Parts: sequence; C-alpha cells; structure tokens
Amino acid sequence: MQDRKALTDKQINDTLTNSILRTPLHWYILTGFFAVIVLMGFVAVGILANRGLGMTGMNRPVYWGFFITNFVFWIGISHAGVMLSAILRLAQAEWRRPATRAAEVLTVFALGTAAMMPIVHLGRMWRFYWVFPYDWARGIWPDIRSPLVWDPHALSTYLIGSSLFIFVALIPDFAVLRDKTTGMAHQIYGALSMGFRGSVRQWRLQAIAGIILSALLLPVFVSVHSIVSWDFGMAMAIPAWHTTIFAPYFVIGAVHSGVAGVITVLILLRWLFRWDDFIRREHIDALGRLLFVVANAWLFFFALEFMFGLYHQEGTEVVVRDLWLFQTPWNVIFLLFIFTGYIIPVPMWLFRSVRRSFPLMLFTTILVNIGMWLERFLLIIPSMGRKHSFTFVWGDFAPSPIELMIVTATFALVFMLMLLFAKAFPLIPIFDIKEGNVLRDEIQIGRRTVQAVIREE
Amino acid sequence: MSTNHHHEPNIFQLEPVEVTRDVIARTRSRGSRYWGIVGVLAVLLVIGLIGLGMRLGSETTKLGYYAATFSFLFTTTQTAPLVSVAFRMTKNHWRRPIARASELFAVVGLFNLLIFIPLMIALPSTEGRWTIWIQAASWSPHVFDTMMLASLVVCGLGLLWSGAIPDFASLRDKGGSKIYSKLAMGWQGTVRQWKMQRVLLSFLGAFYFIGIIWTHYVISSDFSMSLVPGWVDSIYPTFHALSGLQAALATMLLTAYVLRRFGGYKEYIPMETFWAMSKIFLATSMLWFYFWWSAFITYWYGRQIGEQHVLQLINFGPYIYAFVIAFLFCFVFAVFMLIWNPIRKNPGALASIALMVLIGCFFDRVRLFVSSWSVSDLRDQHHLHYVPDTVLPEAPDIMIIVGLISGAILVYMLASRLIPVMSIWEMRELRLYQRSRMLVRKKVMVLGKPE
Repeated sequence: MQDRKALTDKQINDTLTNSILRTPLHWYILTGFFAVIVLMGFVAVGILANRGLGMTGMNRPVYWGFFITNFVFWIGISHAGVMLSAILRLAQAEWRRPATRAAEVLTVFALGTAAMMPIVHLGRMWRFYWVFPYDWARGIWPDIRSPLVWDPHALSTYLIGSSLFIFVALIPDFAVLRDKTTGMAHQIYGALSMGFRGSVRQWRLQAIAGIILSALLLPVFVSVHSIVSWDFGMAMAIPAWHTTIFAPYFVIGAVHSGVAGVITVLILLRWLFRWDDFIRREHIDALGRLLFVVANAWLFFFALEFMFGLYHQEGTEVVVRDLWLFQTPWNVIFLLFIFTGYIIPVPMWLFRSVRRSFPLMLFTTILVNIGMWLERFLLIIPSMGRKHSFTFVWGDFAPSPIELMIVTATFALVFMLMLLFAKAFPLIPIFDIKEGNVLRDEIQIGRRTVQAVIREE
Repeated sequence: MSTNHHHEPNIFQLEPVEVTRDVIARTRSRGSRYWGIVGVLAVLLVIGLIGLGMRLGSETTKLGYYAATFSFLFTTTQTAPLVSVAFRMTKNHWRRPIARASELFAVVGLFNLLIFIPLMIALPSTEGRWTIWIQAASWSPHVFDTMMLASLVVCGLGLLWSGAIPDFASLRDKGGSKIYSKLAMGWQGTVRQWKMQRVLLSFLGAFYFIGIIWTHYVISSDFSMSLVPGWVDSIYPTFHALSGLQAALATMLLTAYVLRRFGGYKEYIPMETFWAMSKIFLATSMLWFYFWWSAFITYWYGRQIGEQHVLQLINFGPYIYAFVIAFLFCFVFAVFMLIWNPIRKNPGALASIALMVLIGCFFDRVRLFVSSWSVSDLRDQHHLHYVPDTVLPEAPDIMIIVGLISGAILVYMLASRLIPVMSIWEMRELRLYQRSRMLVRKKVMVLGKPE
C-alpha cells in the first residue's frame, strides 16, 4: 500500500523550505557537535603534518592503512548519487523524486572527503600538486601511466560533473527561495537562480540539461571507482590485487555501500526535519528492493574474486585467503565484514515489513556500511602485510589515535556538510516533488483503486 | 518534461475477447510459408547432424567450432527468457507483448541439452590442470555442468508452462486438442489459482535468473578458460553472462520485429516495447566494452609473459579477425547507432542492429572457444608458453554451425505452433492497466502501477 498524502503546491513549498527559513534547535546542536569533531580532526591533521607519517600505525611493508581504506570507502559512498539520480531519472522511476537531491549532495561531500584522504596520507601534504602534469620548476613529469595519477583526474572530473548536475537541478528551487526571501538572501538566491521564471523554454532547457548531464555522468561514475580499483589491480607484487574483476567489483561494492548510505541519510533527515509526507515507506521499500538486488550482485562479484584467487592455487594468493579465513585478527574482521555487509541485512530485506520500517532500515543500512568499510580494510591491509622474501623488516598495522581521530572526523565532516547544505538549500527537490504530483493518478479496476502514473511519449 | 508534439498515446485497443480469439486463430492457422521455412530448417538440421557425426571422435582441436556454436546457442536462446523474467520482476508493462516469445526460448534449451552431451564427452579430463572445481574429483565438470544445464532447462520449461497455463485453458475452452486440457491442469481462473500462478512465476523466475548466471559461469570456465593454462580471468564468467544478456536482447528485438512484421502482431507490439528494450540494449553494449576492457587493461598492464600470450590467443593473435568483428559489431557500431533516439524508435533499424550484434556475438564465441580448444598441451602447465595457430573452419564445422543454428530456430517455430507466441492473459491484463486522459491540452497515457 502507498501511504502518500495529497499536498498543495503551497504546502510543498512551505514544508520543504522550512529547514532553510525556520531552523529547528536540534539542527544547531547536531551541527555544533559534528563541528567539534571536525575541528579535532583538523588538529590531528595538523599534528600529522608537523610530526610526519611516523605518527600513524603504518610500518613496512604496510604502507597503505586507514587513510587509503577510508579513501576507497568514501569514493564508494559517492557512487549513490549518480546511481540513484541519473539512472533512475533515465529509467523514469517515479519513486526516485525525494531521494535524488540528498543522494547527489552526498556524492559531492563524500567525494570531497575522499579526495582529502590521499592528501593526508602523503605526509608532506603540501606537495599534493605533484600529481598534476606540468614540469616547469620541477623538471619532471608525473608518470601518466600510473593509476595513481589517473585517480585525481577521474575524481576531479566526477566532482565537477556532479556539482554541475546538482546546480542545474537546483535552479528552479533557487527561484522558489528567491521569491520567499528578502534582503541579502534574496540577492544570493536571485543570482543563483539565473533569472529562472518557469517559462516553457526554461523548463525544457533545464530538463534537457538534466538528461544530458545524467547520460554524461554515467560513464564518469563507472570510471572513477574502476580507476580506484586499478590503483590496486595494476600492482603485480601484492597478492589478491592483480585480478581482472576488480573494476566492476569495486563499482558494485560502491553502489552497495552508497545506496545504503543514502537510505541512512534520508531516514535521519526525515526524522530531523519532519519530512514524513515526503520520505515515505514506499520510498524506502523501493530503495530496499534495489539494495537487495545490488547486494546480491555484489556477493556474486565477491565470490568470483575469492574463488579465482584460489583457482590457480598460486602460493601467495592462497596465503592471503588463508589470512582472511583462519588467522586472527583477520578472520574476526572477515566474519564481522561478511555478517554486517551481507548475512544480517540482506535476508532481512526479503521481508516487506523490514523494508517499510524506518528503524530497521536505518539499522541494516548502517550495518552495510560498517561491513563495506571493513571489506576495504581487508582488501588492503592483509595483502600488504603478507610475509614474503627479501624484506629486511616486518611490521604489522595497528591504527594510531591520530588515524582514528582523522577517520572519525571524516564521518562528522560529511554529516556536518549535509546539515549545512540543508540550512541553505532544499534537500528534497521542490520542483521534482511537484512534477511527481502532476504526473500521479489513480485508475479504477473493478472494485479496486490502483495507483497510476502519467506516461509522456 | 512535456513537448509540443501532439499525438495520441499508444494504447492497446483490442477488447479482451478479441485478444483471445485473434491470438488463438493465429496460433492455429499456419500458412504454406511457415511450413516451407520449417522444411528448409529441418533439412539444414539434418546436414548439421551429419557434420556433427563427422566431427565426433576427433581430437579436441577439431571441436572448437562445435563448442563455439553450442556456446552461441546457449547464450542467445537460453538467456532470452531472462528478458521476460527480469522485467516481470521490475513490473514493466512494456515487456508484456514479448513475455511469451521470450519464455518460449526455454524450449530450445532441450535442443541445447541434446547437443551438449557429445561436447561434454569430448571435454578433456581435468587431471593435471586447474579448473574451478579446485579440489573436486576429475569428473566434476562433466557431472555438475550437465546437472546445471539440465536444471536450467527444467526450470525454463516450468517457467514457460506456468506462464502459459491461463492461455492453455483458453485454448482448451475454444475447442483445442486434449493436450491443452492436460496442460491447463483444471485452470478455471479462480482468485486462488491466479495467486498461485503469480507465486510460481516469481519463484521460477528467481531460480532461472540465478541458474542462468551460474550456468554461464560453469560453461564459460569449464569449456574455454580452464583449457588454457594460465588464463586466470575472474571477470570472464561475468563477461560471458553479460554478453549473453546483450545477445538475448538482440534475439528478442529480432523476434519482436519478425512477429510484428510477418506474424501479424503489429497491434500488439508497440513502439514502446522496442524503445524500452533498445535502451537496455545500449547499456549492455557499453557494458560489453567495459567488461572486456577491465580484463584487457589488467593483463596488458601486468606485462607477464603468460598473460600476454593469453591476450594474443583470444584478442590480437590467430583470431584477430573474430575479435575485430566482435568488437565492431557488439560495441562500436552498436553503441554509435543506438545512442540516436530516432534509431531506437525504429523497429527495422533495431532489428538490423540486433542481427549485427548476433553475428558479432557468434564471432566473439569463436575467438573465445575455438582458440581455447586449439590449445592441445594442457598437462602440468601453469602458463601458456606458446600461441597456437589459427584453426579455420572446415566443411563439417560449417555444416555444424549452419545446421545447429537452424535446428534451434526450427524447435522454436514448432513450439510456437503449440503454445501461443503472444501471452493472451498478459495482454488482457495490460488492457486493464492502460487509460488515456487529458493533461492540460494534451492527451496522455495513464498507466496503472500495481504493488
């Protein structure tokens, strides 16, 4: 059953601009709380910059630790935006409407956070510009054959494209805010709305721009995580990394964790801003079904990755699987990962009552992201830590307080940025909700009323 | 957003009674052209079986084209029911006109199972070489692959039967032969029976979905990858399944075109069905490249000698002609034609692209299967140390290719004589869900979306 409520355009405008024009007290408390953690994170980064990478738990031969794990995780989260917005827009899925903006914004903030991680990981972070291809002053070019150089370019393309995508979708909403504000706010929203008056031509251009950007962003979205996967896949010396499935496996894993992240955020926003009439059970039900399919596809890719590691029975590959399954603490982490990432949540989503329950969906989607963070940790650390010949010293990886602080701060940063965005811009697209109302209908079949949509040719 | 092009929404107009009468009449009456084609296909099948007889007992190198033809038929025909299964799960109305035509391909699975038996016997023992059945007995691929394929065939037939029960009842009630009475199993259309049918379709659909993916996995790895020492390509089974989905969509586009153009079902199969399929067809064509590229770049970048030999074998060496055709037909031409909306809305153009993709898919299977069956030295090798020469098709191979493909089409045509190729109940249901109304000054279609 669908539990939607008929709302007038004025009610939609008022409710969705409420978070901007009349901010609730708990917004300030939450934002302040997250800001304190972010500040502590910046202090930790400062200490790291001052004292060097020796402050982290990384040691030979584990050169990639929490920061790179966190980088891959946030890149993964960023994949939900385009997945939900572009693909569902092209597929004309009506239920996408309240979820798209939050997903797109989460994309941008997660990408920005992800981009910070390799810079922090550099140790000498002020030299991050070395990845860019220019040689004056330095006399050398970065090696453009290296996936580590492809990364920042793919990531910045995705960041620019996603930001543009959000901006285009926001234009009609800026116009609504322009018309509802006065003074400085009116000036700013007026400039951002770029003279949007809602003429037929403007609507058509806005729709065409949205469709074109959706289509253009899709290959970028796939390429970003593929390139991240090739940071690993192109390395010959590290077992369990040089495998052909890594690119799609990373992409589907990213979608798995990203869609789960969007559901988490939507449920929290619904609670925070009382958006009960907009984010309804039918929406998380649809997202839950999508997540069920994605999770199973992810499991299939994971199974292939695991099995083909054993297929040719190369000693080094077998050792890594042995570490995952039988050596403590990796086997504990492996169990935690597989239970939280798949075994607990996915069977629960088989039940409609779970998919339509906000607390249970919040719980299961948080579990998924715990699992997916651990998955990235397992992919990176045991492979690097495996003992092999001709290395003069063996260290293991244990995260230092500095790393823990910085990683925690990244989560706080994303939540804080989402809250700040919600203070300035509507997190549920106003025009999209109104369009959905226009295209919504009901038909009578026998004695039953069935929900219907208007299909334009 | 709306456009200024004013035209009537494309709503299915036939009344439920007319649908039943029309589809039953078309199923029963077949003209001389139909029987003529059946006759030609039967002759070609006999020729193919003679070719197969000539090849049986030959060394493995000679069986590559037979393996490639089997893989092609499995890919195209047994993946085709997935088009109905997947889009029934997502409740897309556009799949209704092609749902039965798609499920009817499950019957061809029986034919595939028969031609699989000699191939399974010819599959070399796994002793001394790696397979996906890592520690299992050397007969594992033979037994488990057959079981998987047989289960898939049974599941496909179950899916076809459960989806056709209401139509069997219609045929029974309209004076059909006694076989329809047995197949309808006392169907009266009660609420309970409809509910049961929905549940059965959901379960069998889910099983078919999982089954086809895993069968692609075992067929692709046991009948090509594990025959090449050092070919460890974890994405390959997924590539095989994905290209199968692309080929299945091509098969369905071509079938829908033939039914619309020559079968008299123009009123039933609207442009929307072609348009919706073409968008997914475009996506799968792009994914074809993405999956191929993911494997290629990892091997190419690795620069390991064994991996370079594998790249030579299946891409740029003795089968470069097959690779180039597959690459151009399945990706380059397909994508650069399908990105244009006017092409995606033109059934004739789509049918041509579908045919091109099917040809590309066949050559793709040639590069993957003929190449791997040409590697004769399998024992105790961990890497491919040399790239064997091209194996060109000989007369028996051409007889097999033409004969077996003809046989598959023949089986499908004969099955369509017994089972209506258009689902009567699905079209009647579609009629219930479609309405038209005015939206501002434009007439639009309203489509019911049941939970």
